[in-house]
Amino acid sequence: MRRQAALLTLILCLAVFFTVSQAHAEKPVKLGFVYIMSGPFAAYGQFAKKGAELAVDEINKAGGIMGRPVKAYFEDSTGKPDAALRALRKLVYQEQVDCLIGLDSSGVAKSVAPSIPQLKTPLIITHAATPDVTGSVCNKYIFRISLNLAQNVKTAALLAAQTKAKTWTTVGPDYAFGHQSWEYFEKYLKEINPEAKFLPKDQVAFPPFKTTDFSSYITKVMQSKPDGVLISLWGGNLIDFVRQGSDMGFFNGDFEVLVTLGAATEVLSALKDKMPEGLWVGSRYWFLANQSPLNKAFVKNYHDRYNEYPSYNAHGSYGAIMAYKAAAEKAKSCGKDAVISALEGLTIELPVGKITIRAEDHQAVTDACWGKTAADPAYPIRVLKPMKIFKGKDITPAVADTGCKM
Amino acid sequence: MTNSAKILRNNGFLFFLLFAILAAAPFILPIYWLIILTEIIIMGFFAMSFNLLFGFTGLLSFGQAGFFGVGAYCTALLIQNGIESLTLILSAGILGALLAALIIGFLCVKRDEIYFSMITLGFGMMLYTIAHNWIGVTGGSDGLPLCTIPAIKLMGWEVSLYDPRWMYLFSLSVISLGVLLLWRLTRSPFGLILTAVRENKERLAFVGANVRWVRLTSFTIAGGLAGLAGGLFALFNCMATPDFMHWSFSSRPVLMTVMGGSGIFFGPAFGAAIFFILEQLITNVTENWMIFLGAFLIPIVIFFPRGILGTIVELVKRRRES
Amino acid sequence: METFAANLLNGLSWGMLLFLISVGLTTVFGVLGVLNFAHGSFFMLGAYLCMQIMHIVPSFWVGIIVGPLLVGGLGVVIEKMLLRKIYDRDISFQLLLTFAILLFLDDSVRLIWGPGYHVVEAPAILAGTIPFFDHTYPIYRLFLVVIGPLIGLALWSFFHFTRWGKVVRAAAVDREMAEGVGIRVPLLFTAVFAFGSWLAALGGALAAPHQSLAPAMGERIIIESFIVVVIGGMGSFPGAFAGALLLGLLDSFGTAFAGRAQMALPFILLAVVLLFRPQGFFGRET
Repeated sequence: MRRQAALLTLILCLAVFFTVSQAHAEKPVKLGFVYIMSGPFAAYGQFAKKGAELAVDEINKAGGIMGRPVKAYFEDSTGKPDAALRALRKLVYQEQVDCLIGLDSSGVAKSVAPSIPQLKTPLIITHAATPDVTGSVCNKYIFRISLNLAQNVKTAALLAAQTKAKTWTTVGPDYAFGHQSWEYFEKYLKEINPEAKFLPKDQVAFPPFKTTDFSSYITKVMQSKPDGVLISLWGGNLIDFVRQGSDMGFFNGDFEVLVTLGAATEVLSALKDKMPEGLWVGSRYWFLANQSPLNKAFVKNYHDRYNEYPSYNAHGSYGAIMAYKAAAEKAKSCGKDAVISALEGLTIELPVGKITIRAEDHQAVTDACWGKTAADPAYPIRVLKPMKIFKGKDITPAVADTGCKM
Repeated sequence: MTNSAKILRNNGFLFFLLFAILAAAPFILPIYWLIILTEIIIMGFFAMSFNLLFGFTGLLSFGQAGFFGVGAYCTALLIQNGIESLTLILSAGILGALLAALIIGFLCVKRDEIYFSMITLGFGMMLYTIAHNWIGVTGGSDGLPLCTIPAIKLMGWEVSLYDPRWMYLFSLSVISLGVLLLWRLTRSPFGLILTAVRENKERLAFVGANVRWVRLTSFTIAGGLAGLAGGLFALFNCMATPDFMHWSFSSRPVLMTVMGGSGIFFGPAFGAAIFFILEQLITNVTENWMIFLGAFLIPIVIFFPRGILGTIVELVKRRRES
Repeated sequence: METFAANLLNGLSWGMLLFLISVGLTTVFGVLGVLNFAHGSFFMLGAYLCMQIMHIVPSFWVGIIVGPLLVGGLGVVIEKMLLRKIYDRDISFQLLLTFAILLFLDDSVRLIWGPGYHVVEAPAILAGTIPFFDHTYPIYRLFLVVIGPLIGLALWSFFHFTRWGKVVRAAAVDREMAEGVGIRVPLLFTAVFAFGSWLAALGGALAAPHQSLAPAMGERIIIESFIVVVIGGMGSFPGAFAGALLLGLLDSFGTAFAGRAQMALPFILLAVVLLFRPQGFFGRET
């Protein structure tokens, strides 16, 4: 008898709980964000959250989207594909968001891509760089506002072609991102400079992701005596590599070094003056690259609010919200299908510059900035001097080459 | 009435009640919680297969995700190659995992206790490395994203697994079969031998049982069932990725089983339920879920020596007796 | 020649760090019978506290002495309040409890020091490089190669020549016996756990100038330390030394010669040792 009573209470409690959690107000425009919020890469989620909150506050202060306030929901992907999918499903089914924004890891983005059409909600990717989500596994619902791997590496290849280096090698993380960076680099540089040579796969360095001691890889690359090295490590891996490499003479100028994600602020501010000068570094967004009033205001507002310079991930989430707003206003509706149609072919000015989201593969055509690391007394971190801006149309592969079939 | 018959009758009633509640869930729960419940039953079943080794045979495996992953990959590969029969797809997952478990088990079951845990960890991570590096077949670190998953076809009647309700009901029916199998197995003479292996393997060897063979059988069955769970998980998430094979994934069934109670048949599944519901509740309130999960787990470990369900059942039993 | 020498030094310096972490783990396992999942979190705390102390007193040496001591103190608290309650339980409970502690500590670090990356400077005297064939080699890594065996020697003398050390060794061999001859086991357990935490934190502080600090940085190292402990022989001090060296060298030479299979090498080694010599290199027959 007592047990049945207990069971009944339990069921009742659950029922109450679910009805409460179901209750929701219709009014605000709901945006759902999925980033890495815990674990070793939590920094990326925090950057994105800062950028998103800045954008949401700016929009709400200026009257919202078509008079409706914006409400942001953040979920933790933990960097794992099943957890990320759970978070996406939660945002759609439980919070009933109008648009999904986020994803840091390329592997996660590719794994969850086929499930997005089931959720029938647009997803704007702001960080994950794998070409496949706007290529082989692209679909109607997935957009990307940020520079992808192909665009970034194409820029690296254009730079590489201007150097005297003939034989190239790479150091990249041992997962799809590192391998693809190298394959695309080889492909693009060969197109520009057929003379270029590339070390075979067993002579280049792909340290596993969990590596903290890069010395043996540094030794391996230096022993192979290349003319140029493409480094596609990022985050903590890149920091460790740069410090250990500096000590071992890797950056003494014996060869050209191109670091595809070296201009990321989280790396520069951890390394400060330990970042060697004179390296070519790239990023998805560099806060000093664009002199437009919009960018200056963004950098100033961000710095005033958080006392740091905006990282590319902060720009990504900020840009995605602005693009959503523009699309919704263009469509005069926050309906999911209307926004999807409006996002296709949308041109909008963001802090990074003017971008256009291609209708065919949903990849943003956006400018890329690379530069040489240099000290500047006005900034606590290394800045880029000189800078080179590459036009989006010059670095974005043709739609036919992406393999995307909607 | 004998005691054991009573337990069986009581259990039969409880089983039926549980199944009825679970089968009614799609009509009661909101979609998102139904999705969480799908995950709970799949991971709960995974933990129960792990518990065949741990709770019943006394072997703490730390590489169970390896077989879970083999199941997921076999399933995913068949789907990618256009096979549409769900029976065939899931059987392939089970068979693949059975085979992997048979080979690896053959080497592992010689070892005891912590040595067994470590050697299964080693083999599990070798499977992970294969999945991570064999790009041509497994898709490397990205894994295999599944752009289409087959529909349920039964006598001219067809429904899509993309519908969370059907996905749930499909998982529930497959898992119910698996659970029945597990139940029969643990109540069979073989199940009694398993328990005897756990309690005292020297004595069992003395009376002529082949301890190694018993353990290997248990290991292989546990692996095969983990493969079934993996196959369902691949369907549920539309993906198979190396993450499913990593040691941190292997630690999940351990966590769930210890939390729920390894001495109770449904303990691991109960642990899975607690784990996911707790995670949902915590992440609703705070971003710092890890610190709260940690803070919550500590008292569970200390105050529930037989797991939550195990300790509750113990209390109920004791009260009844007194 | 240069490749060989460089790989040798790389492997040795990494092996020495692994040794410091594993020796604490193996001693705790030997005496307490607990396989401590949170050991990597003590490693992480050691690095973070060293950095924090260097913000207050700008000296690496103060950081490396005070930081690990604080972690040792935390070890005392954890042993007395939590671990003590579950010694008689199955090993799975110990794993779960230490896993919970790991979650707690990892997230605490993120809340206290933020999620970003941090960098710790090596002390000036060890910061530079020395010529090494055609290139240069960092002094700090050589320092690690030297300090590892020195600490090992100090530990060895402690275990063999002091009363406390002998007690610990005796308890690691046979806990019941130690109790029988009148050793105060609860006190011993607290001391050993604190000692293990201190060693892990010392490893973390020593690693700090050489790798970036981020939350959950200890999780990467914990499985490798488990492997060292098992292949060396659970509870064996020389085993931890040999295992760590072997794993360090395997890591560096594997990079040069094994290509992508390098990722699986530690696990292959683990399985092979367990298949053919389950008690590990220096373990006793079970």
